[in-house]
Amino acid sequence: MQEQLRKFLEKVIATHKDYKFIFNHSSWQTDFLRFYQSQVNYNISKSSEQLWVTIYQGKKSLSFSISDPDEKKLSHKLDESFNLISKLPNDEDFVDIENDLTKTKEKAKENNIKKLSLDNKIDILQKFSTVAKKHGFKTFGTFICNYETSSILNSNGVDKVSYNSPIMLEIKGVADKNMVTVLESLGGEQIANLDFDRALESFERKLIAGKAEVVDLDPDHYEVILAPRCIGEYLTNLGSSFHSASLDRKSSFFEGKENKEVFPKNITVYDDPHDADLVNFDYNGEGHKIDKLMLIENGVFKNYLVNSYYGHKTNLPINGNSGSCLVMKTGDKSLEEMISTVKKGIYISSLHYMNFINVKETSLTGLTRDGTFLIENGKITKVINNLRFTEKISSILENITEIENNSFVIPFSSNYGAFEISSVKMPHVKVAKFHITSSTKTI
Amino acid sequence: MKKLIYDIVGKLNKRDIQFGDVRFTSSDSQTIFFEKKNLKHISKTTDAEALGIRVLVDGCWGFAGTDVMDVTKVDGLINLAISNAKHSARFRHTPVAFKSIKPTTGSYYFVPEEDPFAMPDDQKIEYLQNIANKLNQNPLIIHTGVHVDFYRQYKVYANTEGSFVDTLVYDTMPSMSVVAVNSKGMQTRTWPGHMSTKRGGFEVVREAKLEENIDRIVKEVIDLLDAPTIEEEKADLIIGGGHLALQLHESVGHATEADRILGMEISYAGKTFIKPEMLGNFKYGSKEVNIYSDSTDPRGIGYHLVDDEGVPGRKVDIIKEGILLDQQTSREIAPQLGLEPSSNMMASFADDFPLVRMTNFCLAPGKAGSLEDLIKSTEKGYYIDFTKTWSIDDNRNNFQFTTEIGYKIVDGQIVGIVKEPTYFGITAEFWGACDAVCSESEWNYHGTSYCGKGEPGQAMHLSHGVAPARFRNIVCNVKA
Repeated sequence: MQEQLRKFLEKVIATHKDYKFIFNHSSWQTDFLRFYQSQVNYNISKSSEQLWVTIYQGKKSLSFSISDPDEKKLSHKLDESFNLISKLPNDEDFVDIENDLTKTKEKAKENNIKKLSLDNKIDILQKFSTVAKKHGFKTFGTFICNYETSSILNSNGVDKVSYNSPIMLEIKGVADKNMVTVLESLGGEQIANLDFDRALESFERKLIAGKAEVVDLDPDHYEVILAPRCIGEYLTNLGSSFHSASLDRKSSFFEGKENKEVFPKNITVYDDPHDADLVNFDYNGEGHKIDKLMLIENGVFKNYLVNSYYGHKTNLPINGNSGSCLVMKTGDKSLEEMISTVKKGIYISSLHYMNFINVKETSLTGLTRDGTFLIENGKITKVINNLRFTEKISSILENITEIENNSFVIPFSSNYGAFEISSVKMPHVKVAKFHITSSTKTI
Repeated sequence: MKKLIYDIVGKLNKRDIQFGDVRFTSSDSQTIFFEKKNLKHISKTTDAEALGIRVLVDGCWGFAGTDVMDVTKVDGLINLAISNAKHSARFRHTPVAFKSIKPTTGSYYFVPEEDPFAMPDDQKIEYLQNIANKLNQNPLIIHTGVHVDFYRQYKVYANTEGSFVDTLVYDTMPSMSVVAVNSKGMQTRTWPGHMSTKRGGFEVVREAKLEENIDRIVKEVIDLLDAPTIEEEKADLIIGGGHLALQLHESVGHATEADRILGMEISYAGKTFIKPEMLGNFKYGSKEVNIYSDSTDPRGIGYHLVDDEGVPGRKVDIIKEGILLDQQTSREIAPQLGLEPSSNMMASFADDFPLVRMTNFCLAPGKAGSLEDLIKSTEKGYYIDFTKTWSIDDNRNNFQFTTEIGYKIVDGQIVGIVKEPTYFGITAEFWGACDAVCSESEWNYHGTSYCGKGEPGQAMHLSHGVAPARFRNIVCNVKA
């Protein structure tokens, strides 16, 4: 944020003591390469500067945002807001805005858009495409670098800055002859931790597996191996139940289960915004410093994700976590050992279009995507058409029988509203009695 | 602003590029949200300006966009777009073929009956507070919401072929919901349902008749708590307009976006089961099924003079009497399929890259009369509406939907309700099972402001014209 604007925001806070302000300023850039059929579809460079403002007068509040903010625009909007706010009804549940003044080192991160140039990206993609071609596949996907600086100032003295520069490569190999698809992804913030050569080797192993015969599978309950991406997605979807807002709305699966054993003892899940392998976050959107938070420990539900609003409302301790850096504790089996004991089952690489049927019951439906494989007598033998499941996330977790002794970082991009990249670190898991309800009959 | 756009096009015309276009948008939006009786959120964004420059150089697209409107940086933006194209061309084996078209010039300014951005905020809040207060009338109801989005966008489109068009539109999305809980579980009812965005201002909120439908959704959500589920394996379903719009959207609209045929969306939104050789012969549905894309109808949100690459608005038959005829295309894609561009390239804001998007994507009315007539002619089945869950596969082939409520039909009469009716189908089999579509009198536009596609993601405003329709022998007993 430019110094002149910062000083003006500080002045607004100092001169309007009857109000409380939250100022969130974000300066954001992306360099976004999208490719298909082993060639560029388009490359986007995009920049944005936004200021989000929330004003409180007692229990009344309103918000506005300004693109490309300056003093003139902000003054105009503030005057408009001061005129309106006294006419608004109260939000009786509101107590106070964030007051956590603890800070991290707020170390600026290198801008990975500059470190990983468009030419560098293309060099990497050409290697993947060459390997794909050797096996009769073409490459499709995205290669993204972002850089964001976020500042938070509020009337309670919060004054914090955070930096993000995530990198995300998601590359799919699609077979020329039958559209069988396999997926490789990697992401994080430290280029040194991104092992493109290892990803290329892994991608080639998947391409080879994808050349197998394609078969269909009847609806039934199966033993499945869920890839790290899949268990990460289920846990992310369970995030609504982890959040104190859902407890307040009586829609949380965990209501009444606090400190009780809800899943098998081998399941431990936590939110760790400082895990060096992940895209890291110092603060939540309100400026609350966030730290490692245990969610499920040895099968016992431990904590809700609590922001200041719902902390005041539910009397739960505020932790500020949002579940954007989920980590599942590894187990004691190698992936090969896990597969070797499956007589007839399914390896699921990725999931698609999940949606809740009943959020409190955690029942949902969705599909497999980008590599679904048949396991027979301990070996992956065939490719399976994509399948639909209708399951409860709680049942999936209850039925986990084995967890891999290794874990993988999986990046996810959020594609509504602000474009953000976050990541999870997950192992493979083996699940008994997974409910497949139909086949798509297509790859 | 028009002068700036003219100037940018002038600069592009002096550069060594095959094609270039420029878009400018200035967008306003307001959200008002009541949770229970409390005003939880009121926010406004006004004059959010954005600029995007797209160029075709060396057979490859390059794009640069920003919401920081600094006229001194326009040359840098042009250079960045051109540089992106030139560098990216290294990884392009087939140059983009792009035939020139006749330029279009013109303006379109929609005028709402009640401009929500001119209306005092306290008047809007008072109106909605009244709804919020009346929703909270039963102790079993543990959560309620009243949510309205107002949107206005001014857009200028210009390209190096000479097209220059500016437009102003207003869209409004009203909704309310109630959630009830008892020992048997939690149920939800909403009004007017999932696709409630319409072109217009505050009059759209009044026309939604929120207050008049409070008693209905409160009674229904309480009744749903103790309602049975569908027990039959298969049943005849009459699908109401709001939910049928989503069924059309997911299983035909997205499936006939031709960028999916070429794999341009594989990385995120997915592909389609449709292959180029299916055009002109594939049986997508029964003879009752006539589906078209129509960006020339100003009643729908998808109306425009030109799309975001200069193609004039068009009405295109996608499916005629059940046979797949055409696709939603772009100027790059259409010739590869032997088609004419369908005027479906759209971007949410000027700093977004345009994609193949639905505009007004419609199921033509049939001859089944009114909804009442259709129910009367149904011996046994369910009338379902109000979307709860939706999911469809990567190829837009296997879908499963759940609605909030189903009304049981026996001998042409509604005799009770069922909770969470869930049905499953394969796209062409499902549309092939359509034996009746209600007549023009039941046909309406249903719109959304949140159709997600592309990376970085874009939420598009679009609409679907539909009338309730009946589908025979549909699998409807799927449970977790």
